Amino acid sequence: MKVIALIYGEEQRWESASEEERTAMYARYQAFAETADGKILDGAELAPTRTATTVRVRDGETVVTDGPYAETKEQLGGFYLLEVDSLDEAAELAARIPGAATGAVEIRAGRMEES
Amino acid sequence: MKYLLLLNNDKTDVEAWGKLSPADAQKAREQELPRWNELFGWMEEQGITSDGLELEDASKARVLRVRGSETMVSDGPFTETKELLGGYFLADCKDLDQAIELAQRVPLVSRGSVEIRPLVTQ
Repeated sequence: MKVIALIYGEEQRWESASEEERTAMYARYQAFAETADGKILDGAELAPTRTATTVRVRDGETVVTDGPYAETKEQLGGFYLLEVDSLDEAAELAARIPGAATGAVEIRAGRMEES
Repeated sequence: MKYLLLLNNDKTDVEAWGKLSPADAQKAREQELPRWNELFGWMEEQGITSDGLELEDASKARVLRVRGSETMVSDGPFTETKELLGGYFLADCKDLDQAIELAQRVPLVSRGSVEIRPLVTQ
């Protein structure tokens, strides 16, 4: 099954991190990816939420607003798409994502095709 | 330029779908399908390549936090708001304008919302 792991953290802390801190964090992510045993299908870091755009259509009219849908203490900063056998396995992997130790990781299973 | 498009459903819609029988839920999904296929057709015309996933109910989400050696797990989504993340697209668009055009063609945007997040390019 496919599971998306959404990585939340305080983006202000990340943006104000020193070059050394960033390099160290990227190294931890790389180490995680290397030990994830090929279970990572995809993943990326997201640009800060101030670059977000939220789109709605109401009564045929498109409403575009800057910023994320929800203002939260921790912001969505990246994700991994995982291929695992169960949500428990996804949870084990997600707990090893570096961001889980500083922020939070939400895991959401993909819907299985009923065929 | 790659964008993550977060597809948010209206919460009351999600709750209503949850009350449908499996057969009725399937029927409702089939009714929606032509609108989604129209979107996929448009994306193909535009040469937008994308990957995406429809997600299981937010109620089945888990949130993990690791503090020291302890892992804390809570049920349910990270943010509980009027809208709930129901799926996503990871789409390669020309620019933000094209991503917005894509977003406004997503069927659920007329009741929920689509949040567009550019990826960091390394």
